[in-house]
Amino acid sequence: MGRYTPAVETGLDHMREMARGNFGLQWMDSNPDGWGHEVTPGPAGLRLRDIETGHYAKIPEHGSHHGSMAPRGCYVPEETRSLEMYTLNEMSEVWSENAALLYDEAVVRQWNSVTDVPWDKLEKLPDDIEKSVCQMCTGLTEVEFVAGDMPAKWMCRINHDFHEVKLFLATQIMDEARHLDVFRKRALANGGGLLMASPGQEELLAAILEAPDYATASALMHIFGEGFVLTLFRQGEFLAPTEVEKTIFRLCMQDEARHVAYGVKHLEYFLERHPDRAEEIHSILDLGEQAIFTLTLEPQTVEPRAILAGGGLANIELGMQRMAFIYAKQVREYLRRLKVAGLDREPRLTIPQEIPFEEIAA
Amino acid sequence: MANKATFPSTEWFQSLAGRMHENEATYRALGPVDCVMVVKVDVPTGTELYEIVFEVFRVKSVRQLARLDDAAPTHFVLEASLATWREMIENIREHGSADLEHTLNYLTFPDDPMLVDGPDQLEIDAFYRYNQSLQRFFDGAAAVETSFPR
Repeated sequence: MGRYTPAVETGLDHMREMARGNFGLQWMDSNPDGWGHEVTPGPAGLRLRDIETGHYAKIPEHGSHHGSMAPRGCYVPEETRSLEMYTLNEMSEVWSENAALLYDEAVVRQWNSVTDVPWDKLEKLPDDIEKSVCQMCTGLTEVEFVAGDMPAKWMCRINHDFHEVKLFLATQIMDEARHLDVFRKRALANGGGLLMASPGQEELLAAILEAPDYATASALMHIFGEGFVLTLFRQGEFLAPTEVEKTIFRLCMQDEARHVAYGVKHLEYFLERHPDRAEEIHSILDLGEQAIFTLTLEPQTVEPRAILAGGGLANIELGMQRMAFIYAKQVREYLRRLKVAGLDREPRLTIPQEIPFEEIAA
Repeated sequence: MANKATFPSTEWFQSLAGRMHENEATYRALGPVDCVMVVKVDVPTGTELYEIVFEVFRVKSVRQLARLDDAAPTHFVLEASLATWREMIENIREHGSADLEHTLNYLTFPDDPMLVDGPDQLEIDAFYRYNQSLQRFFDGAAAVETSFPR
């Protein structure tokens, strides 16, 4: 019996052969179709779309059967073991024509909450304003990382041949980490702190995380959830009392718009190939709409924004009136995004298109 | 590049494009911009339209349009009265960049006094996606001595 395990003994045998000058070198000619590839960087640098041409642009409708992490376009030896973890093997389940573009855009547009936010411009704010900003940040800290947890849950199940999608989702996870981080920092950085969590938000988060498959989870999160949050970020920039919040919301807005763009184009790709599954998308959106409606009217969600919109607690009613258009804008943009994706949701909408905030305020 | 121009005019937008080219490093740090923006200005005599095509870190082209249908199919429109544009530009000139109440997002968010619109929502979303770069583009007006039609 040898001193080492069979695997080590095999390795040592290979070493002995190499010591005798017997090299394999089969790998050098293993992939003739993929050799001699030429790329031309564009003015933006070398993007994925610049390299994914010819042999490497062949994206299979059904992902590789070998089930390994071998990169798309290389030669995969017969003995390569399957990892038995990829369950999302159909391109239509995950693909979006803009995934590669959005990945490149995301990596170039990365920012950080340590040095890119002018924290030195924070200023002491009236108590009601600081509390409102902190409550808004508490809510956003709570909700943002669902868009990290959801892709993380599905990413390891996506066939490795669809690496553009996996790369994009990885940037999304980083984006959401930064959002969680920056809103938490803002809540804690100016003499205030975190305030009240939102049971209403948890309903929506649960619906996203418990969605039965990736396509429905994506429709609910990328288009519905992130679309609504994108409007909240725009509102945050609008209401920002200082340059600090202005910068935070503007940077987050850009990130969120990328996520929405992926979701819309993915749903479009999915529905073009699976029109029969539109009903599943409608069903998950039914759930999301119910949750968002409850959430929108929760005091810890609506009141801080009304205080900021009104310019102070004394003007909260005025703030409610000024907020009237925001919900309508969220719903309108949500319906328009679904229309781009090929889903006519308007006849199926389960929530009002407008909330009479003026009447509530009155 | 001329540092003196009348708003609205192709020369004025070309001046901003010139600022963008001179400061390419700043725009590189912000990330690439690939979109078509149509600026719609309601002037006393009617409406003027300008199409600005952004490609990566530069402005690829600026042209005046006779009508909106002449714009590239993928575009978004920023629409406001001349008075609103003037106030925004003068604010940028005064402060070196837009103050809290004159950013593009601030002006467009309530749909009034400035409106962002487009043929479909994804094109409008491009305005949100590249907002920082577009803001920087208009902040370039700080260096352009601007006159306005009476």
